[in-house]
Amino acid sequence: MSPSVSAISIQGLTKDFSVTLRGVKLRAVDALNLEVAEGQVYGLLGPNGSGKSTTIKIILGLLDATVGDVRVFGVPANRVEARRNVGYLPEAPYFYRYLSGRELVKFYARVCGVSGATLKARVDEVIDWVGLSGAADRRVGTYSKGMLQRIGLAQALVHDPKLIVLDEPTAGVDPVGSAEMCELIRKLKHQGKTVLITSHLLAQIEDVCDRVAILDRGKLIVEGSVLELVGQRDRQALIVDPLPEADLEALRGWLAARGHTLNAVEQPRARLDQLFLSKVSRPGRPGGASAGVGSNEVPLDAKP
Amino acid sequence: MSVASVPFSFSRLSLIAGNTFLEAVRQKLFNFLLLLAVGLVASAQFFREFNFGSSELKFISDFGFGALIFFGSALTIATTAQLFFSEIENRTALTLLAKPLWRAEFVFGKFLGVFAVIGVFCALTIGLMMALLWHREGQLMDIRPEDFANGRLIAYGDLVVVGVLQWLKFGVLAAIVLLIASFSNTNLFTVVTGFFVLVICHLQYLARDAWGNVDNPLVGLVVRVLGFVFPNFQLFNLADQIGQGAGVSPIVALQVAGYAVAYIGVIGGLAVYSFRNREI
Ligand SMILES: Nc1ncnc2c1ncn2[C@@H]1O[C@H](COP(=O)(O)OP(=O)(O)OP(=O)(O)O)[C@@H](O)[C@H]1O
Ligand SMILES: [Mg+2]
Repeated sequence: MSPSVSAISIQGLTKDFSVTLRGVKLRAVDALNLEVAEGQVYGLLGPNGSGKSTTIKIILGLLDATVGDVRVFGVPANRVEARRNVGYLPEAPYFYRYLSGRELVKFYARVCGVSGATLKARVDEVIDWVGLSGAADRRVGTYSKGMLQRIGLAQALVHDPKLIVLDEPTAGVDPVGSAEMCELIRKLKHQGKTVLITSHLLAQIEDVCDRVAILDRGKLIVEGSVLELVGQRDRQALIVDPLPEADLEALRGWLAARGHTLNAVEQPRARLDQLFLSKVSRPGRPGGASAGVGSNEVPLDAKP
Repeated sequence: MSVASVPFSFSRLSLIAGNTFLEAVRQKLFNFLLLLAVGLVASAQFFREFNFGSSELKFISDFGFGALIFFGSALTIATTAQLFFSEIENRTALTLLAKPLWRAEFVFGKFLGVFAVIGVFCALTIGLMMALLWHREGQLMDIRPEDFANGRLIAYGDLVVVGVLQWLKFGVLAAIVLLIASFSNTNLFTVVTGFFVLVICHLQYLARDAWGNVDNPLVGLVVRVLGFVFPNFQLFNLADQIGQGAGVSPIVALQVAGYAVAYIGVIGGLAVYSFRNREI
């Protein structure tokens, strides 16, 4: 396959929904152009109802484009072949509640053609990878929101796709869980996967994405690499021990002598989510790679 | 760039069928089916006091088939609609159809899963009914041996054949309900329309008898087209022939089975066509 083929290529995409019986149309996506290169982590941002999920569903062939050309690794998105290399986690995922987590992942693996000796190994591997080993034999109906997102990620990865599409993977997930989700996404990037992700948690998107696009009412309003968009090239921050006032004055003088100015002196603050991460403990999970699951699960025969 | 094509796969189809069946099992639908079948057949026992002799056996068999047809139809419509819409309403279809999977595999997988569930119901009802008949026949043989000079009267093989034909008829009904569900937005609409179509399928022969030979060629044509579009469910009622004359003719049984399979194929195909354009 030639490297020039984008993982996702969207050209002139418009999607209308008819929302009333009289045929009044609602334009959910409006003349959208987007290219996601292979190996990138790409963030799709925008307020509620801006057309993110609609765009994603068209990429997956679940909806048909009204106008426009959408290709996944060069294959038109409405063809079954296009979905060979794609894993998808829908927003607010919900799965067959009567299956156990392991059965669920196994079912999707077999649908994707994973079979024989690799099947069990692959299922165990992804379940372990998303940190759900402890709860894999429980019914999915008993899972918490965070666990549903994790099992959803496991089913999206089970056939080892090249492109992974995650629609709000951190919605309803606690800060520990969403930090871990970001960690998993980074690992996917290191494995050479392409990831398309939507989220409202912009700080997280910023940490994990290479490029972002912002949609508003179906239109693309900003697109670019995160560094280009938010990096301030004309500023630099130095972090030092607390300086007495006199030293600070001296530093100002030193800088002024070289034609620089000291723009701001402020106390760096830990972000609240970092504080949360350092304080909230998840016992019994070595290495901090907690699973967001089963932390307060006690074996029934355990005596306190 | 070319990506290897994804051929239609019977193993994926059967995976979906298996999962649909499993849903029915795990959601405790079968406990209900078992109760229903036992209740139906057991209620035939209430009529034992009539003690008609061998005609009592005929009564049990008629009662059993009547119950099978009535409850089987209701169950087919409700189960098909439920198992289809649980997939749409819980948005599990979203995840599933985002896999490399043909929508035809989804629709026919759902069909086979439902068909298997109904098969279990038919087998339970017919099996229990046969056990009851066998038992009662044995008792009657002791009480009035003169009625049973030539051995047992009930043709148990024919009971099985007629049971299988009813199962196939429910298959046609399930395909019709899937076709309605493929474009309908709600479970309720599907169930109501399904019942409506069921009634038409059972009664269309009346229209054909009444108007099929009317001189007006237009009316005749309409009636004939209707008779073609809607399968004639009356054809499947071979229960009356059990134990009469030569019993159920194997040729007729095969013809009726072929009729059912043809309708399932065509209606299932239409359901796939309509579902392919559905926005999930
Ligand atoms: N099936 C549908 N029928 C009609 N309108 C729809 C349908 N799906 C989405 N829409 C409309 O399209 C617009 C875009 O919806 P979409 O779900 O893509 O937004 P989103 O960006 O994912 O929002 P959120 O952040 O809330 O998930 C909304 O106005 C929505 O009401
Ligand atoms: Mg959305």
